[in-house]
Amino acid sequence: MTVKWLYYWQPSIGVTMSSQTLSIAIKRIEALHGVKTSRWQITASQFRPNQREPVPLVECARELLGVVFSEVPDKYYFALRQEHMVVEADATMQAIMEKLQVYRNRLTILFEGFQYELGDFHIKAGRAVLAHTENLRGIVLEVDYKPLSSVEQSRRVVQDFMEVWQKGETTGQFVPLDPNFSEFNLPDLYSWQHTALQYVTLMAFVFSQQRT
Amino acid sequence: MLDRCMGARLPGSSHVDALEVLLQGLCGGLRETIKVHEICLKTGPNLGAVASEVHLCCSLSQPEPVWSVRHVGGAMRGAGADQLPALVRPVLEAGISNNSLRFMYSLGYKLDYEMLRTGFSFQLHKTVPIAVTITISVTAVHRLPKIHAVDDPQPVTPGLQMVQVSAPASPDNYSEVVGAISGLAEYLAPLVHLSKPGVPAGIVPTASTAAAALVSRGGITKVL
Repeated sequence: MTVKWLYYWQPSIGVTMSSQTLSIAIKRIEALHGVKTSRWQITASQFRPNQREPVPLVECARELLGVVFSEVPDKYYFALRQEHMVVEADATMQAIMEKLQVYRNRLTILFEGFQYELGDFHIKAGRAVLAHTENLRGIVLEVDYKPLSSVEQSRRVVQDFMEVWQKGETTGQFVPLDPNFSEFNLPDLYSWQHTALQYVTLMAFVFSQQRT
Repeated sequence: MLDRCMGARLPGSSHVDALEVLLQGLCGGLRETIKVHEICLKTGPNLGAVASEVHLCCSLSQPEPVWSVRHVGGAMRGAGADQLPALVRPVLEAGISNNSLRFMYSLGYKLDYEMLRTGFSFQLHKTVPIAVTITISVTAVHRLPKIHAVDDPQPVTPGLQMVQVSAPASPDNYSEVVGAISGLAEYLAPLVHLSKPGVPAGIVPTASTAAAALVSRGGITKVL
């Protein structure tokens, strides 16, 4: 599996983010003869402990994060950021968690859009919206350089590509989300667990931006 | 997935060998070795709408441990359920990565008990009257004297093994699946009386004779 790099849109001071930003990004991709291939969707959820009393009497993680990818519908990924843990499970684990009722879904973010092939680059361009609303929370890009599976080598290539690709843009820029794979004991070989960590980190960032 | 099961106790290693011969003939398939470290976890106080229990199973019969989570719901109740010769209950299972125990502890679950199950299983694939895969397992349960010490297990009931017959079903076909399990139970009758879990079945009086005959012949013709 090759390495995916996430970028989030940071508008310039005084500029408001809107869906127009995504349209401009897509036009830039298509101007370089990027070919639209498919839709994509990633659902990221935040869960909180379901405690019967308001005062916590049991030690448990304050926040549980979950991700499912439209490309891998038979798997579900959990992350506990404080505990530095990513867990991969069969999709049935969602049904088990619903039966157990120990954690309740508080918020869900949908990352959705279109995927493009641009030479050796695969780019997902999309928006982050709060589930069941049209409340736009962010514009995101996922960039994947197919010939390389090394994290460090692909990082340099993708960074160079993004620098050139968004040169001249004045309304803002796409900023890389720096993953902290090593803190989570993830293996060196990139996997969907790494991608899950990136998207829950992006979800947490999107929530924090809204609060500020 | 709804799970139907019937169980029985099987005494003596010769009976176990005979049952294996019988199952080999009936099922014709591969014998699967069972060595599962089963960890039962329960929620601590105040967590969850109701207290809940979940089982983490670590299969140790392959070169690398394979982990799964298993949630078993309450058995089907009512007059209709009482008439059935098998127990019907909802079961959910999911494969999970090998950090699952630390994950469940982080979610507030505590160790209730653990055990090691060893033995073997066969699968019987039936197509008539319905397509169903029946699993027959013969296992012994062991306690672990120290936490997670699977290398030093002690049998809970020395000399006794549990025979369990189960099959997945849906709400649409559970009565047919129960029928299929009951039909299989008849083939095992020379050696074991299978009954609903919780209902004593007793030991087949002529089992020893049947076991000796099966083992001495070294196999039987498949009867279906």
